[in-house]
Amino acid sequence: MNMNYVRPRDLAEAFAFLAENGRDTTIIAGGTDVMVDLRSGELDTRFLLDISRLDELKGIRLEGENLVVGATTTLSDIYHSELLTQYAPALQKSAYNFASTQIRNVATIGGNVAHCSPCGDTVPPLVIHETKVVFSGKKGERRIPIEEVATGPYRCFLEKDEIITAFILKPVEADFADFQKIGRRKDLAISRLSMAVMVDRDSDGIISSMKFSLGACTPTPHRMTAVEEFMTGKKVTCELLFEGGKLLAEKMIEITGRRPSIIYKEPAVQGLFVRMLYPVV
Amino acid sequence: MNKKYRSVGRSIRKKGGVEKVKGDPVFAGDIELDNPLVLKVKRSAYAHALIRNINTEEALKIDGVKGVFTSKDIPGVNLLGIINRDQPLLAEERVRSLADGIALVAAETEEAAQLGIDAIHVEYEKLPAVFNPVEALKDGAPKIHAKGNVLFTRAVLKGNADDGFEKAYSIIEKEYTTSAIEHNYMEPDAGAGFVDEDGCLVIYASTQNPHYDHKELVSLFALEDENVRIIQAATGGGFGSKLDLNVQGFIGLALLHLKVPVRYVYSREEAYLATAKRHPFTIKIKTATDRDGRLIATRVRAVCNTGAYGSYGIAVASRSAVHGTGPYSVENVDIEVKCVYTNQTYCGAMRGFGAPQMALAHESQMDLHAEVLGIDPLAIRLLNGLEVGSLSGTGQLLTSSVGFKDCLHAIAPYYEEAKKSWVSTCSTPFKRRGVGLGAMWYGIGNTGVQNPSTARVTMEPDGTVTVFTGCAELGQGSTTVLCQIVAEILGISPDEISMVVGDTRYTTNAGATSASRQTYISGNAVKDAAESLANVLLTEAVNRLQVPKNTLVLENGEVTTTGNPDCGIGIAVLAGRIHDKGGVLSWQGYFDPETVPLDPKTGAGVPYATYAFACQMAMVEVDTLTGEVTVEKVVAAHDVGRAIHPENVVGQICGGVAMGVGFALMEKFEQGKTESMKDYHIPTASDVPEVVAIIVESEEPTGPFGAKGVGEPALIPTAPAVINGISSALNYRIYDLPASLERVLEASIQAGHFGVQEE
Repeated sequence: MNMNYVRPRDLAEAFAFLAENGRDTTIIAGGTDVMVDLRSGELDTRFLLDISRLDELKGIRLEGENLVVGATTTLSDIYHSELLTQYAPALQKSAYNFASTQIRNVATIGGNVAHCSPCGDTVPPLVIHETKVVFSGKKGERRIPIEEVATGPYRCFLEKDEIITAFILKPVEADFADFQKIGRRKDLAISRLSMAVMVDRDSDGIISSMKFSLGACTPTPHRMTAVEEFMTGKKVTCELLFEGGKLLAEKMIEITGRRPSIIYKEPAVQGLFVRMLYPVV
Repeated sequence: MNKKYRSVGRSIRKKGGVEKVKGDPVFAGDIELDNPLVLKVKRSAYAHALIRNINTEEALKIDGVKGVFTSKDIPGVNLLGIINRDQPLLAEERVRSLADGIALVAAETEEAAQLGIDAIHVEYEKLPAVFNPVEALKDGAPKIHAKGNVLFTRAVLKGNADDGFEKAYSIIEKEYTTSAIEHNYMEPDAGAGFVDEDGCLVIYASTQNPHYDHKELVSLFALEDENVRIIQAATGGGFGSKLDLNVQGFIGLALLHLKVPVRYVYSREEAYLATAKRHPFTIKIKTATDRDGRLIATRVRAVCNTGAYGSYGIAVASRSAVHGTGPYSVENVDIEVKCVYTNQTYCGAMRGFGAPQMALAHESQMDLHAEVLGIDPLAIRLLNGLEVGSLSGTGQLLTSSVGFKDCLHAIAPYYEEAKKSWVSTCSTPFKRRGVGLGAMWYGIGNTGVQNPSTARVTMEPDGTVTVFTGCAELGQGSTTVLCQIVAEILGISPDEISMVVGDTRYTTNAGATSASRQTYISGNAVKDAAESLANVLLTEAVNRLQVPKNTLVLENGEVTTTGNPDCGIGIAVLAGRIHDKGGVLSWQGYFDPETVPLDPKTGAGVPYATYAFACQMAMVEVDTLTGEVTVEKVVAAHDVGRAIHPENVVGQICGGVAMGVGFALMEKFEQGKTESMKDYHIPTASDVPEVVAIIVESEEPTGPFGAKGVGEPALIPTAPAVINGISSALNYRIYDLPASLERVLEASIQAGHFGVQEE
């Protein structure tokens, strides 16, 4: 019941604290998930370790071949980043109608990923950028592919003495990139479906490469390689989009099985796929 | 209209508006008290059960717990209900829903109160429960109340519906359903209280009706009137749910026994669990027209689910039946609405009392008839619309202030323009646009029952004016409107008037802030009082000015003679003179609209003295691939009689549209699934369309300066307009609310819009 709030001065202090108290500690950054769980009683923790003011975890920059996004970069920062406009527009788009302005101002990309909600909006764009997530602690760091961060809904691969410190994306200037989602209202809605895509075409308009990820429909994020392969090498027509969307729905059902919500999600996944890629036609 | 008013019809600064912006008003949760105890209610673990035993011993031993109370501690009549009394404050031998309170804990802290709640042991004998009202009507269904599961039936019969159907050219028969809705006022239910030096229970409450609260508490605790005082605290919205006794009874019970200050503020979750919802309806409707599209018969069989208790269910059933024809003249009417008990959380009043649910049905039917006959939806409404001289379904002759067709005419240019140039300019092949109309009528005040308001206007010998009204201000602006009316009569500035509002020690009963009645009914009550006061001022002025009384007017704080502004005398001088002579400067006003109770068998009567009318048009864009709906714009024309405060009227219309969009597209309360705003979606600013509000003024002769009401009418046409817009966009109709993603996408698929489209 007695909870202590701890704010380390730097990352080293945070690692040291976790090495000792990791088991009894919950990391807080923006707090938009943690505070909700604390109030509902779902979360009961001895220590709250606030990493939101650690400068080492902030910022978006190019480092050699990599695009690095610090873990406590807020969704508002992501939305306003010119680097992302150029190299990861789908990620930027995911910040566009993420929750609400107030939430975007404090919520962090690290929190969105670490919470491991199947509906995390930043995840599908991170997947298509083949992101490596940097897990760091006193013992050192390891780089985990974004698809492996969640071991299930709300279950994170992170050890209790580790912090997500950064995301390492492959920067891509694609012909076309987008993120789209469907919620029950226009703001402040948890995604019922989300997806991110990057497409490159040759001079004849044939898809030369495509990266596609589905969010919110499956327990953990998935790159849909079958759909990518199906679309690659073809000229995009409306008919092709409906076929690709149908394949996507089939692949989704292979993962989830036929749950009651599939009555909506099966056509909606197809529909959202068509809507998202229609500009390519 | 010829007379120029100085206060009425002007959007003056809202009474208390500056204070509100500064954060001065004190809500019940913020009232400063000396170490108030925290209250919490232990609620039922089952939707339906008998209570075998309640053991509170362990709870009483918990550190910080100061008292634990059960129904045995209620000295008076343990039954609540303004219309019918069927709801105990704390359960006795039976619980009928998960919302039912069993015991009340008073403790020094939230934590201790929760520990106390957890330590109360209740032995139940579980009973079969029923949640669907149609099931609850069947033989052998679990019996929820001793008198059976039917709370009330309202029939409205006129002419002979069978004859009408026989003569009909076109008959359409459909079934519509609506969902339970949570009010989601900004301020969850709250109250605080103490016992004053005279032993009076003083309770500050977030309420729509302090005087009803007072009556309920006096009865619960078998107290004298003067031993209970209810003061309306600043109230953050109500929408009908704060007509019920929510926290007030628990605060009273703790005060009665402990005599120390207490406070109770519901969490959002508790407000969801334990306060009333909008009644979900199932409406079977069969309507018939002749070859020209004239409605000749309607038959409605509707069931509304009132949950475990009546609350305002009887009013909802009665009003929905009366409004079942829609704002149309129908020769043959056969309507029956049943209000049925189930084991859901009880349903009560919510903005519109059943009229919004019924409007979905009658407005969808109008569009369906129009389609069959090849008539435009606006034209079929104009053809059938009520006008002066029409007879309503209850046989009431409408004699004046029927501005329905004016509303339709006001909408017409927007409607034609939208159909002509907006619908066709859709940008992508996977979006479709539609324009939908929704119309309504709404009786002002309670249905076929007396519902008076009273008020007092006093003038001090120095001329200062105070209005005393029991009319609860919920943010909608009644205090400002009542002030404007008094200012107009007395010829003074609204700024010069002090308002004493909603305090049962100083104000008299104004009835509830509900049924869109306060401008019309309390407006007339303050007007009555102000006119009495004006009369004595004028009489006194005759003596001074030596001119006939009928040439005198009150303006700018003086009595002057018409045409001679130099000859005047200040009202302060007059007030002083009247006072010195022992004259009366304090006047009580009264108004009760003239109604005739409805016949229990046929519903014949005059349920309301006047009606508001409206038509709204919704411009709707549907994503045929995902089922997402965007309401781009709503044009709303409302006949309010006269807008005392036009900006307030526009505010009500905008708020009503916002709420209507939620009702249409996303809101659905499901017990156990929707526990707070986390799982229950109401529209955000991004979901609310641009609103063009058009005020239509068809003066009501019995209204104060011609005014009627707008609070509930603002909401009623929106959902049907949106649904008709979706239907027009998709050429496929949705009959069930809300028109969720699932339902809209299914409609799109069924209509053949999902797939490769020709451009």
